[in-house]
Amino acid sequence: MSPTAGLGLKPQHYAEALAAEDAGLWFEVHPENYMAAGGPRLRWLQAVRDRHPLSLHGVGLSLAADADPDPAHLLALKALADRFEPFVISEHLAWSTHRGVHQPDLLPFPRTRAALDRIAGNIGRTQDVLGRTILVENPSLYLPLTGHALDETDFLIDLTRRTGCGLLVDVNNVFVSASNLGYAAETYLDALPAEVIGEIHLAGHGADEGGSSLLIDTHGAPVAEPVWTLYRRLVDRIGPRPTLIERDDDIPAFDVLMAERNRAHGMLAKREPAHV
Amino acid sequence: MSELGRFQDAFAAALAERASAPIAAWLPNGEGDGEAEPAGLAVYRNTIAKGCVDALAANFPTVASLVGDDWFRAAAALFVREHPPTSAALLAYGEAFPDWLDRFPPADDLPYLPAMARLDRMWTTALFAPEAQPLAAEAFALAPDALAAARPRLHPSLAFAWFDSGLPGLWLAAREPEPGEMALTDDPQGVLIARPDDMVHGRLLDAAGFAFLTAARDGASLGEAITAAARANPAADLATLFAALIADGAFSGLDLGDLA
Repeated sequence: MSPTAGLGLKPQHYAEALAAEDAGLWFEVHPENYMAAGGPRLRWLQAVRDRHPLSLHGVGLSLAADADPDPAHLLALKALADRFEPFVISEHLAWSTHRGVHQPDLLPFPRTRAALDRIAGNIGRTQDVLGRTILVENPSLYLPLTGHALDETDFLIDLTRRTGCGLLVDVNNVFVSASNLGYAAETYLDALPAEVIGEIHLAGHGADEGGSSLLIDTHGAPVAEPVWTLYRRLVDRIGPRPTLIERDDDIPAFDVLMAERNRAHGMLAKREPAHV
Repeated sequence: MSELGRFQDAFAAALAERASAPIAAWLPNGEGDGEAEPAGLAVYRNTIAKGCVDALAANFPTVASLVGDDWFRAAAALFVREHPPTSAALLAYGEAFPDWLDRFPPADDLPYLPAMARLDRMWTTALFAPEAQPLAAEAFALAPDALAAARPRLHPSLAFAWFDSGLPGLWLAAREPEPGEMALTDDPQGVLIARPDDMVHGRLLDAAGFAFLTAARDGASLGEAITAAARANPAADLATLFAALIADGAFSGLDLGDLA
Protein backbone atom coordinates (compact mmCIF):
# COMPACT_ATOMS: atom_id res chain seq x y z
CA MET A 1 0.00 0.00 0.00
CA SER A 2 1.55 3.27 -1.07
CA PRO A 3 1.33 5.99 1.58
CA THR A 4 -1.59 8.00 0.25
CA ALA A 5 -4.52 9.68 1.94
CA GLY A 6 -7.91 8.09 2.61
CA LEU A 7 -11.29 8.97 4.01
CA GLY A 8 -13.62 7.45 6.59
CA LEU A 9 -16.52 5.93 4.64
CA LYS A 10 -19.98 7.11 5.68
CA PRO A 11 -23.26 5.57 4.46
CA GLN A 12 -24.51 8.92 3.11
CA HIS A 13 -21.45 9.03 0.82
CA TYR A 14 -21.54 5.47 -0.55
CA ALA A 15 -22.43 6.42 -4.13
CA GLU A 16 -19.84 9.21 -4.34
CA ALA A 17 -17.16 7.04 -2.74
CA LEU A 18 -17.88 4.33 -5.27
CA ALA A 19 -17.60 6.76 -8.18
CA ALA A 20 -14.50 8.61 -6.94
CA GLU A 21 -11.43 8.15 -9.14
CA ASP A 22 -8.87 10.21 -7.21
CA ALA A 23 -5.42 8.65 -7.34
CA GLY A 24 -4.46 6.77 -4.20
CA LEU A 25 -7.87 7.19 -2.54
CA TRP A 26 -8.72 4.54 0.05
CA PHE A 27 -11.46 4.17 2.63
CA GLU A 28 -11.71 3.10 6.24
CA VAL A 29 -14.69 1.74 8.19
CA HIS A 30 -15.43 0.55 11.70
CA PRO A 31 -15.90 -3.22 11.31
CA GLU A 32 -18.50 -3.15 14.11
CA ASN A 33 -20.87 -1.33 11.73
CA TYR A 34 -20.64 -4.24 9.29
CA MET A 35 -20.94 -7.20 11.67
CA ALA A 36 -24.20 -8.33 10.09
CA ALA A 37 -25.25 -11.43 8.18
CA GLY A 38 -26.23 -9.48 5.09
CA GLY A 39 -27.94 -6.39 3.79
CA PRO A 40 -27.32 -3.25 1.77
CA ARG A 41 -24.53 -1.94 4.00
CA LEU A 42 -22.36 -4.97 3.26
CA ARG A 43 -23.28 -4.78 -0.42
CA TRP A 44 -22.15 -1.16 -0.56
CA LEU A 45 -18.92 -1.97 1.24
CA GLN A 46 -18.25 -4.76 -1.23
CA ALA A 47 -18.86 -2.43 -4.16
CA VAL A 48 -16.57 0.25 -2.73
CA ARG A 49 -13.93 -2.36 -1.89
CA ASP A 50 -14.04 -3.62 -5.49
CA ARG A 51 -12.86 -0.16 -6.58
CA HIS A 52 -10.69 1.08 -3.67
CA PRO A 53 -8.32 -0.21 -0.96
CA LEU A 54 -9.95 -0.59 2.46
CA SER A 55 -8.82 -0.34 6.08
CA LEU A 56 -10.72 -1.89 9.01
CA HIS A 57 -10.48 0.31 12.10
CA GLY A 58 -11.98 -1.44 15.11
CA VAL A 59 -13.54 0.39 18.04
CA GLY A 60 -14.94 -2.56 20.00
CA LEU A 61 -12.29 -5.20 20.61
CA SER A 62 -11.44 -3.78 24.04
CA LEU A 63 -7.75 -4.73 23.92
CA ALA A 64 -7.08 -3.11 27.29
CA ALA A 65 -9.78 -5.07 29.11
CA ASP A 66 -8.64 -7.37 31.88
CA ALA A 67 -10.04 -10.25 29.87
CA ASP A 68 -9.38 -12.13 26.66
CA PRO A 69 -10.85 -10.54 23.52
CA ASP A 70 -14.43 -11.70 22.95
CA PRO A 71 -14.10 -14.78 20.69
CA ALA A 72 -17.35 -13.99 18.85
CA HIS A 73 -16.17 -10.45 18.14
CA LEU A 74 -12.78 -11.71 16.96
CA LEU A 75 -14.39 -14.23 14.62
CA ALA A 76 -16.71 -11.59 13.20
CA LEU A 77 -13.66 -9.37 12.60
CA LYS A 78 -11.82 -12.27 10.99
CA ALA A 79 -14.79 -12.95 8.69
CA LEU A 80 -14.80 -9.31 7.54
CA ALA A 81 -11.02 -9.37 7.05
CA ASP A 82 -11.26 -12.56 4.98
CA ARG A 83 -14.03 -11.14 2.83
CA PHE A 84 -12.79 -7.59 2.29
CA GLU A 85 -9.00 -8.13 2.41
CA PRO A 86 -8.15 -4.80 4.08
CA PHE A 87 -4.62 -3.49 3.64
CA VAL A 88 -4.52 -2.73 7.36
CA ILE A 89 -6.48 -3.61 10.51
CA SER A 90 -6.25 -1.36 13.53
CA GLU A 91 -7.60 -1.07 17.06
CA HIS A 92 -7.16 1.16 20.12
CA LEU A 93 -5.11 1.18 23.29
CA ALA A 94 -8.28 1.29 25.38
CA TRP A 95 -11.04 -0.82 26.86
CA SER A 96 -14.79 -0.71 26.38
CA THR A 97 -16.14 -4.13 27.38
CA HIS A 98 -16.08 -5.23 31.00
CA ARG A 99 -18.05 -8.01 32.68
CA GLY A 100 -20.24 -8.46 29.64
CA VAL A 101 -21.25 -4.80 29.32
CA HIS A 102 -20.09 -2.85 26.28
CA GLN A 103 -19.52 0.87 26.85
CA PRO A 104 -19.20 2.45 23.40
CA ASP A 105 -16.18 4.61 24.17
CA LEU A 106 -12.41 4.17 24.44
CA LEU A 107 -11.72 4.14 28.17
CA PRO A 108 -8.45 4.82 30.04
CA PHE A 109 -6.49 2.67 32.48
CA PRO A 110 -3.36 2.87 34.63
CA ARG A 111 -0.41 1.84 32.44
CA THR A 112 1.18 -0.67 34.80
CA ARG A 113 3.62 -3.46 33.89
CA ALA A 114 0.86 -5.97 34.57
CA ALA A 115 -1.45 -4.08 32.21
CA LEU A 116 1.31 -4.20 29.58
CA ASP A 117 1.50 -7.99 29.95
CA ARG A 118 -2.26 -8.37 29.68
CA ILE A 119 -2.63 -6.08 26.66
CA ALA A 120 0.35 -7.62 24.85
CA GLY A 121 -1.35 -10.99 25.36
CA ASN A 122 -4.63 -9.64 23.99
CA ILE A 123 -2.91 -8.18 20.93
CA GLY A 124 -1.06 -11.46 20.40
CA ARG A 125 -4.30 -13.44 20.58
CA THR A 126 -5.95 -11.06 18.13
CA GLN A 127 -3.07 -11.32 15.68
CA ASP A 128 -3.06 -15.12 15.99
CA VAL A 129 -6.75 -15.29 15.06
CA LEU A 130 -6.41 -12.79 12.22
CA GLY A 131 -3.17 -14.32 10.97
CA ARG A 132 -1.60 -10.87 10.57
CA THR A 133 -0.32 -7.99 12.65
CA ILE A 134 -2.49 -5.03 13.57
CA LEU A 135 -1.88 -1.36 14.27
CA VAL A 136 -2.70 0.04 17.72
CA GLU A 137 -3.92 3.63 18.10
CA ASN A 138 -3.18 6.10 20.88
CA PRO A 139 -6.44 7.15 22.60
CA SER A 140 -7.74 10.61 23.41
CA LEU A 141 -7.57 11.09 27.19
CA TYR A 142 -9.77 13.17 29.48
CA LEU A 143 -9.00 12.12 33.03
CA PRO A 144 -5.65 12.47 34.78
CA LEU A 145 -4.87 9.12 36.41
CA THR A 146 -2.08 8.18 38.77
CA GLY A 147 -0.43 4.80 38.98
CA HIS A 148 1.18 4.83 35.53
CA ALA A 149 4.46 2.90 35.45
CA LEU A 150 5.17 3.92 31.86
CA ASP A 151 4.56 6.91 29.65
CA GLU A 152 2.05 6.19 26.92
CA THR A 153 4.75 6.35 24.24
CA ASP A 154 6.96 3.84 26.09
CA PHE A 155 3.93 1.63 26.67
CA LEU A 156 3.07 1.65 22.95
CA ILE A 157 6.69 1.03 21.92
CA ASP A 158 6.93 -1.94 24.32
CA LEU A 159 3.74 -3.36 22.78
CA THR A 160 5.26 -3.16 19.29
CA ARG A 161 8.42 -4.94 20.48
CA ARG A 162 6.53 -7.70 22.26
CA THR A 163 3.84 -8.39 19.68
CA GLY A 164 5.15 -7.14 16.36
CA CYS A 165 2.15 -4.81 16.10
CA GLY A 166 2.56 -1.37 14.57
CA LEU A 167 1.17 1.98 15.63
CA LEU A 168 -1.62 4.08 14.26
CA VAL A 169 -0.76 7.61 15.36
CA ASP A 170 -3.85 9.77 15.77
CA VAL A 171 -2.37 13.26 15.71
CA ASN A 172 -5.62 14.84 16.85
CA ASN A 173 -5.73 12.48 19.84
CA VAL A 174 -2.16 13.48 20.70
CA PHE A 175 -3.16 17.15 20.50
CA VAL A 176 -6.33 16.65 22.57
CA SER A 177 -4.66 14.47 25.23
CA ALA A 178 -1.66 16.78 25.49
CA SER A 179 -3.99 19.73 26.02
CA ASN A 180 -6.20 17.88 28.51
CA LEU A 181 -3.44 16.29 30.57
CA GLY A 182 -0.85 19.02 30.21
CA TYR A 183 2.13 17.82 28.21
CA ALA A 184 3.79 18.77 24.94
CA ALA A 185 2.32 17.13 21.83
CA GLU A 186 5.62 17.58 19.97
CA THR A 187 7.55 15.65 22.65
CA TYR A 188 5.01 12.84 22.51
CA LEU A 189 5.20 12.53 18.72
CA ASP A 190 9.00 12.79 18.66
CA ALA A 191 9.23 9.80 21.02
CA LEU A 192 7.58 7.42 18.54
CA PRO A 193 10.04 5.54 16.27
CA ALA A 194 9.35 6.01 12.57
CA GLU A 195 9.65 2.31 11.76
CA VAL A 196 6.66 1.23 13.85
CA ILE A 197 4.21 3.85 12.55
CA GLY A 198 1.94 2.32 9.92
CA GLU A 199 -0.88 4.84 9.64
CA ILE A 200 -1.85 8.34 10.72
CA HIS A 201 -5.29 9.67 11.66
CA LEU A 202 -6.42 13.30 11.41
CA ALA A 203 -9.73 14.52 12.82
CA GLY A 204 -11.42 17.54 14.31
CA HIS A 205 -12.05 18.30 17.96
CA GLY A 206 -14.26 20.68 19.91
CA ALA A 207 -14.85 22.32 23.24
CA ASP A 208 -16.54 20.46 26.12
CA GLU A 209 -20.25 21.31 26.03
CA GLY A 210 -20.20 20.51 29.73
CA GLY A 211 -18.29 23.74 30.24
CA SER A 212 -14.90 22.41 31.32
CA SER A 213 -11.66 23.43 29.63
CA LEU A 214 -11.24 19.93 28.19
CA LEU A 215 -10.93 19.43 24.44
CA ILE A 216 -13.16 16.67 23.07
CA ASP A 217 -12.20 14.35 20.22
CA THR A 218 -15.58 14.82 18.53
CA HIS A 219 -14.71 13.90 14.93
CA GLY A 220 -17.36 16.54 14.32
CA ALA A 221 -15.33 19.39 12.81
CA PRO A 222 -12.60 20.00 10.22
CA VAL A 223 -9.03 19.13 11.23
CA ALA A 224 -7.70 22.06 13.27
CA GLU A 225 -4.69 24.03 12.02
CA PRO A 226 -2.45 23.13 15.02
CA VAL A 227 -3.12 19.47 14.19
CA TRP A 228 -2.12 20.03 10.57
CA THR A 229 1.07 21.64 11.86
CA LEU A 230 1.83 18.62 14.05
CA TYR A 231 1.06 16.33 11.13
CA ARG A 232 3.48 18.16 8.83
CA ARG A 233 6.16 17.95 11.51
CA LEU A 234 5.55 14.21 11.97
CA VAL A 235 5.64 13.43 8.25
CA ASP A 236 8.77 15.55 7.82
CA ARG A 237 10.46 13.29 10.37
CA ILE A 238 9.14 9.82 9.51
CA GLY A 239 8.21 10.15 5.83
CA PRO A 240 4.79 9.60 4.29
CA ARG A 241 2.32 7.14 5.80
CA PRO A 242 -1.25 6.23 4.84
CA THR A 243 -3.24 9.09 6.36
CA LEU A 244 -6.96 9.13 7.12
CA ILE A 245 -9.38 12.02 7.52
CA GLU A 246 -11.93 10.87 10.13
CA ARG A 247 -15.36 12.43 10.43
CA ASP A 248 -18.15 10.77 12.42
CA ASP A 249 -20.43 13.62 13.49
CA ASP A 250 -21.94 16.67 11.79
CA ILE A 251 -20.90 15.06 8.52
CA PRO A 252 -20.60 17.50 5.59
CA ALA A 253 -20.82 16.81 1.86
CA PHE A 254 -18.39 14.30 0.37
CA ASP A 255 -16.56 17.05 -1.53
CA VAL A 256 -15.89 18.96 1.69
CA LEU A 257 -14.24 15.91 3.24
CA MET A 258 -12.36 15.19 0.01
CA ALA A 259 -10.88 18.69 0.16
CA GLU A 260 -9.37 17.84 3.55
CA ARG A 261 -8.27 14.46 2.26
CA ASN A 262 -6.64 16.13 -0.74
CA ARG A 263 -4.73 18.50 1.54
CA ALA A 264 -3.19 15.52 3.35
CA HIS A 265 -2.65 13.78 0.03
CA GLY A 266 -0.74 16.76 -1.31
CA MET A 267 1.46 16.92 1.77
CA LEU A 268 2.29 13.22 1.40
CA ALA A 269 2.96 13.43 -2.33
CA LYS A 270 5.70 16.03 -1.80
CA ARG A 271 7.78 13.52 0.09
CA GLU A 272 9.78 10.50 -0.93
CA PRO A 273 8.26 7.11 -0.13
CA ALA A 274 9.22 5.88 3.29
CA HIS A 275 12.26 3.65 3.58
CA VAL A 276 10.67 1.31 6.10
CA MET B 1 -8.03 -9.84 40.77
CA SER B 2 -5.47 -7.79 38.86
CA GLU B 3 -5.16 -4.06 39.35
CA LEU B 4 -6.45 -3.57 35.80
CA GLY B 5 -9.58 -5.53 36.65
CA ARG B 6 -10.07 -3.65 39.92
CA PHE B 7 -9.65 -0.36 38.10
CA GLN B 8 -12.23 -1.36 35.50
CA ASP B 9 -14.73 -2.36 38.19
CA ALA B 10 -14.11 0.96 39.90
CA PHE B 11 -14.37 2.96 36.68
CA ALA B 12 -17.66 1.29 35.77
CA ALA B 13 -18.97 2.15 39.24
CA ALA B 14 -17.77 5.75 38.91
CA LEU B 15 -19.58 6.05 35.57
CA ALA B 16 -22.78 4.63 37.03
CA GLU B 17 -22.65 6.73 40.20
CA ARG B 18 -21.39 9.88 38.45
CA ALA B 19 -18.86 10.21 41.24
CA SER B 20 -15.11 10.12 41.65
CA ALA B 21 -15.14 8.15 44.90
CA PRO B 22 -14.88 4.64 43.35
CA ILE B 23 -11.71 5.63 41.41
CA ALA B 24 -10.26 7.92 44.10
CA ALA B 25 -7.24 5.62 44.47
CA TRP B 26 -6.23 6.40 40.87
CA LEU B 27 -6.89 10.14 40.89
CA PRO B 28 -4.32 12.80 41.72
CA ASN B 29 -4.40 14.00 45.33
CA GLY B 30 -7.47 16.04 46.02
CA GLU B 31 -9.39 15.09 42.87
CA GLY B 32 -11.22 12.12 44.31
CA ASP B 33 -12.18 13.62 47.64
CA GLY B 34 -15.35 15.48 46.84
CA GLU B 35 -18.80 14.40 45.80
CA ALA B 36 -18.53 16.13 42.43
CA GLU B 37 -18.02 14.22 39.22
CA PRO B 38 -14.69 15.10 37.57
CA ALA B 39 -15.14 16.79 34.19
CA GLY B 40 -13.16 14.05 32.46
CA LEU B 41 -15.37 11.31 33.86
CA ALA B 42 -18.43 13.22 32.63
CA VAL B 43 -16.90 13.31 29.12
CA TYR B 44 -16.58 9.52 29.07
CA ARG B 45 -20.07 9.07 30.53
CA ASN B 46 -21.65 11.43 27.99
CA THR B 47 -19.84 9.80 25.07
CA ILE B 48 -21.02 6.35 26.16
CA ALA B 49 -24.60 7.55 26.63
CA LYS B 50 -24.60 9.32 23.25
CA GLY B 51 -23.29 6.22 21.51
CA CYS B 52 -26.04 4.06 23.01
CA VAL B 53 -28.86 6.55 22.44
CA ASP B 54 -27.75 7.27 18.85
CA ALA B 55 -27.77 3.52 18.17
CA LEU B 56 -31.31 3.20 19.55
CA ALA B 57 -32.47 6.19 17.49
CA ALA B 58 -31.05 4.54 14.37
CA ASN B 59 -32.64 1.19 15.19
CA PHE B 60 -36.06 2.61 16.22
CA PRO B 61 -36.63 5.51 13.81
CA THR B 62 -40.43 5.37 13.86
CA VAL B 63 -40.58 5.50 17.64
CA ALA B 64 -38.17 8.43 17.60
CA SER B 65 -40.16 10.33 14.97
CA LEU B 66 -43.51 9.75 16.72
CA VAL B 67 -42.43 10.92 20.19
CA GLY B 68 -39.94 13.59 19.13
CA ASP B 69 -36.25 13.87 19.81
CA ASP B 70 -36.36 15.10 23.41
CA TRP B 71 -38.79 12.45 24.65
CA PHE B 72 -36.99 9.71 22.77
CA ARG B 73 -33.51 10.61 24.01
CA ALA B 74 -34.68 10.93 27.61
CA ALA B 75 -36.46 7.57 27.49
CA ALA B 76 -33.58 5.90 25.65
CA ALA B 77 -31.08 7.14 28.24
CA LEU B 78 -33.14 5.45 30.98
CA PHE B 79 -33.36 2.24 28.95
CA VAL B 80 -29.58 2.26 28.40
CA ARG B 81 -28.98 2.34 32.15
CA GLU B 82 -31.12 -0.75 32.65
CA HIS B 83 -30.10 -2.57 29.49
CA PRO B 84 -26.60 -1.51 28.40
CA PRO B 85 -25.24 -3.04 25.20
CA THR B 86 -23.58 -6.42 25.54
CA SER B 87 -21.93 -6.33 22.11
CA ALA B 88 -19.84 -3.77 20.24
CA ALA B 89 -22.00 -4.33 17.16
CA LEU B 90 -24.67 -1.76 18.05
CA LEU B 91 -26.63 -2.39 14.85
CA ALA B 92 -28.42 -5.15 16.78
CA TYR B 93 -28.82 -3.15 20.02
CA GLY B 94 -32.24 -2.70 21.58
CA GLU B 95 -33.84 -6.13 21.51
CA ALA B 96 -35.38 -5.45 24.93
CA PHE B 97 -36.57 -1.93 24.05
CA PRO B 98 -40.14 -2.80 22.90
CA ASP B 99 -40.93 -4.75 26.08
CA TRP B 100 -39.27 -2.07 28.19
CA LEU B 101 -41.48 0.61 26.59
CA ASP B 102 -44.48 -1.56 27.48
CA ARG B 103 -43.58 -1.15 31.15
CA PHE B 104 -42.40 2.46 30.96
CA PRO B 105 -44.99 4.58 32.84
CA PRO B 106 -44.48 7.79 30.81
CA ALA B 107 -45.49 5.78 27.72
CA ASP B 108 -48.88 4.89 29.26
CA ASP B 109 -50.48 7.69 27.25
CA LEU B 110 -48.97 6.23 24.06
CA PRO B 111 -50.34 2.66 24.06
CA TYR B 112 -49.33 2.17 20.42
CA LEU B 113 -45.64 2.83 21.14
CA PRO B 114 -44.42 -0.69 22.10
CA ALA B 115 -45.93 -2.06 18.88
CA MET B 116 -44.18 0.67 16.88
CA ALA B 117 -40.94 -0.44 18.53
CA ARG B 118 -41.62 -4.11 17.73
CA LEU B 119 -42.27 -3.22 14.10
CA ASP B 120 -39.10 -1.08 13.94
CA ARG B 121 -37.20 -4.05 15.36
CA MET B 122 -38.63 -6.34 12.68
CA TRP B 123 -37.52 -3.82 10.06
CA THR B 124 -34.00 -3.51 11.44
CA THR B 125 -33.67 -7.28 11.74
CA ALA B 126 -34.74 -7.68 8.10
CA LEU B 127 -32.21 -5.02 7.07
CA PHE B 128 -29.28 -7.08 8.39
CA ALA B 129 -30.66 -10.57 7.68
CA PRO B 130 -28.67 -13.08 5.60
CA GLU B 131 -28.71 -12.76 1.83
CA ALA B 132 -30.69 -15.17 -0.32
CA GLN B 133 -31.91 -15.01 -3.89
CA PRO B 134 -35.71 -14.72 -3.85
CA LEU B 135 -37.60 -17.12 -6.10
CA ALA B 136 -39.13 -15.63 -9.22
CA ALA B 137 -42.53 -16.72 -10.53
CA GLU B 138 -40.90 -19.14 -13.01
CA ALA B 139 -39.69 -21.29 -10.12
CA PHE B 140 -43.32 -22.16 -9.43
CA ALA B 141 -44.10 -23.30 -12.99
CA LEU B 142 -44.76 -26.91 -12.00
CA ALA B 143 -47.47 -29.44 -12.64
CA PRO B 144 -50.40 -28.80 -10.27
CA ASP B 145 -49.74 -31.91 -8.15
CA ALA B 146 -46.05 -31.11 -7.82
CA LEU B 147 -46.79 -27.49 -6.94
CA ALA B 148 -49.29 -28.43 -4.25
CA ALA B 149 -46.83 -30.90 -2.68
CA ALA B 150 -43.81 -28.57 -2.78
CA ARG B 151 -42.74 -27.00 0.50
CA PRO B 152 -41.61 -23.36 0.25
CA ARG B 153 -38.65 -22.03 2.20
CA LEU B 154 -39.28 -18.53 3.45
CA HIS B 155 -36.72 -15.85 2.67
CA PRO B 156 -34.33 -15.32 5.63
CA SER B 157 -35.25 -11.63 5.82
CA LEU B 158 -39.01 -12.28 5.89
CA ALA B 159 -40.91 -11.30 9.03
CA PHE B 160 -44.66 -11.14 9.53
CA ALA B 161 -46.97 -10.57 12.46
CA TRP B 162 -50.62 -10.12 13.32
CA PHE B 163 -52.04 -7.31 15.45
CA ASP B 164 -55.48 -6.97 17.04
CA SER B 165 -55.79 -3.41 15.75
CA GLY B 166 -54.56 -1.22 12.94
CA LEU B 167 -51.09 -0.68 14.39
CA PRO B 168 -49.27 -1.90 11.24
CA GLY B 169 -51.10 0.70 9.14
CA LEU B 170 -50.17 3.39 11.63
CA TRP B 171 -46.55 2.27 11.55
CA LEU B 172 -46.40 2.15 7.74
CA ALA B 173 -47.91 5.64 7.54
CA ALA B 174 -45.44 6.97 10.10
CA ARG B 175 -42.52 5.64 8.07
CA GLU B 176 -43.49 7.62 4.99
CA PRO B 177 -41.00 10.44 4.31
CA GLU B 178 -43.91 12.91 4.54
CA PRO B 179 -46.40 11.22 6.88
CA GLY B 180 -49.98 12.15 6.01
CA GLU B 181 -52.95 11.56 8.23
CA MET B 182 -52.21 8.82 10.74
CA ALA B 183 -55.39 7.22 11.98
CA LEU B 184 -55.47 4.12 14.14
CA THR B 185 -58.29 1.77 13.11
CA ASP B 186 -59.75 -0.96 15.30
CA ASP B 187 -59.59 -3.51 12.49
CA PRO B 188 -57.07 -6.31 13.06
CA GLN B 189 -54.18 -6.14 10.60
CA GLY B 190 -51.13 -8.15 9.66
CA VAL B 191 -47.84 -6.89 8.39
CA LEU B 192 -45.17 -8.35 6.14
CA ILE B 193 -41.57 -7.07 6.11
CA ALA B 194 -38.91 -8.40 3.76
CA ARG B 195 -35.60 -7.48 2.18
CA PRO B 196 -35.32 -9.67 -0.91
CA ASP B 197 -32.61 -7.42 -2.39
CA ASP B 198 -31.25 -3.99 -1.43
CA MET B 199 -34.35 -2.48 0.11
CA VAL B 200 -36.53 -3.43 3.04
CA HIS B 201 -40.19 -3.09 2.25
CA GLY B 202 -43.27 -3.51 4.39
CA ARG B 203 -46.95 -3.86 3.58
CA LEU B 204 -50.20 -4.80 5.20
CA LEU B 205 -51.07 -8.47 5.25
CA ASP B 206 -54.65 -9.74 5.40
CA ALA B 207 -55.86 -12.73 7.39
CA ALA B 208 -55.48 -15.10 4.44
CA GLY B 209 -51.92 -14.00 3.73
CA PHE B 210 -51.01 -14.28 7.39
CA ALA B 211 -52.50 -17.79 7.56
CA PHE B 212 -50.57 -18.79 4.43
CA LEU B 213 -47.22 -17.60 5.79
CA THR B 214 -47.84 -19.06 9.24
CA ALA B 215 -48.51 -22.47 7.67
CA ALA B 216 -45.47 -22.18 5.41
CA ARG B 217 -43.25 -21.22 8.32
CA ASP B 218 -44.47 -24.30 10.16
CA GLY B 219 -43.41 -26.54 7.27
CA ALA B 220 -46.64 -26.87 5.29
CA SER B 221 -46.72 -27.65 1.60
CA LEU B 222 -48.03 -25.00 -0.78
CA GLY B 223 -51.30 -26.92 -1.03
CA GLU B 224 -51.68 -26.98 2.75
CA ALA B 225 -50.76 -23.30 3.02
CA ILE B 226 -53.34 -22.33 0.37
CA THR B 227 -55.95 -24.36 2.23
CA ALA B 228 -55.05 -22.51 5.45
CA ALA B 229 -55.42 -19.18 3.63
CA ALA B 230 -58.83 -20.14 2.21
CA ARG B 231 -59.98 -21.23 5.65
CA ALA B 232 -58.92 -17.88 7.15
CA ASN B 233 -60.84 -15.98 4.48
CA PRO B 234 -63.08 -18.01 2.16
CA ALA B 235 -63.51 -14.94 -0.08
CA ALA B 236 -59.75 -14.43 -0.58
CA ASP B 237 -58.37 -14.31 -4.13
CA LEU B 238 -55.77 -17.01 -3.61
CA ALA B 239 -54.00 -16.59 -6.96
CA THR B 240 -53.50 -12.88 -6.32
CA LEU B 241 -52.36 -13.56 -2.74
CA PHE B 242 -49.74 -16.05 -3.92
CA ALA B 243 -48.51 -13.80 -6.74
CA ALA B 244 -48.14 -10.91 -4.29
CA LEU B 245 -46.04 -13.02 -1.94
CA ILE B 246 -43.77 -14.02 -4.83
CA ALA B 247 -43.44 -10.35 -5.75
CA ASP B 248 -42.57 -9.61 -2.11
CA GLY B 249 -39.64 -12.00 -2.42
CA ALA B 250 -41.14 -14.07 0.37
CA PHE B 251 -39.66 -17.36 -0.87
CA SER B 252 -36.05 -18.36 -1.26
CA GLY B 253 -36.44 -22.06 -2.01
CA LEU B 254 -38.84 -24.81 -2.92
CA ASP B 255 -38.42 -28.37 -1.64
CA LEU B 256 -39.95 -30.65 -4.24
CA GLY B 257 -39.53 -33.79 -2.16
CA ASP B 258 -40.05 -37.16 -3.88
CA LEU B 259 -41.59 -35.53 -6.91
CA ALA B 260 -38.37 -33.73 -7.82
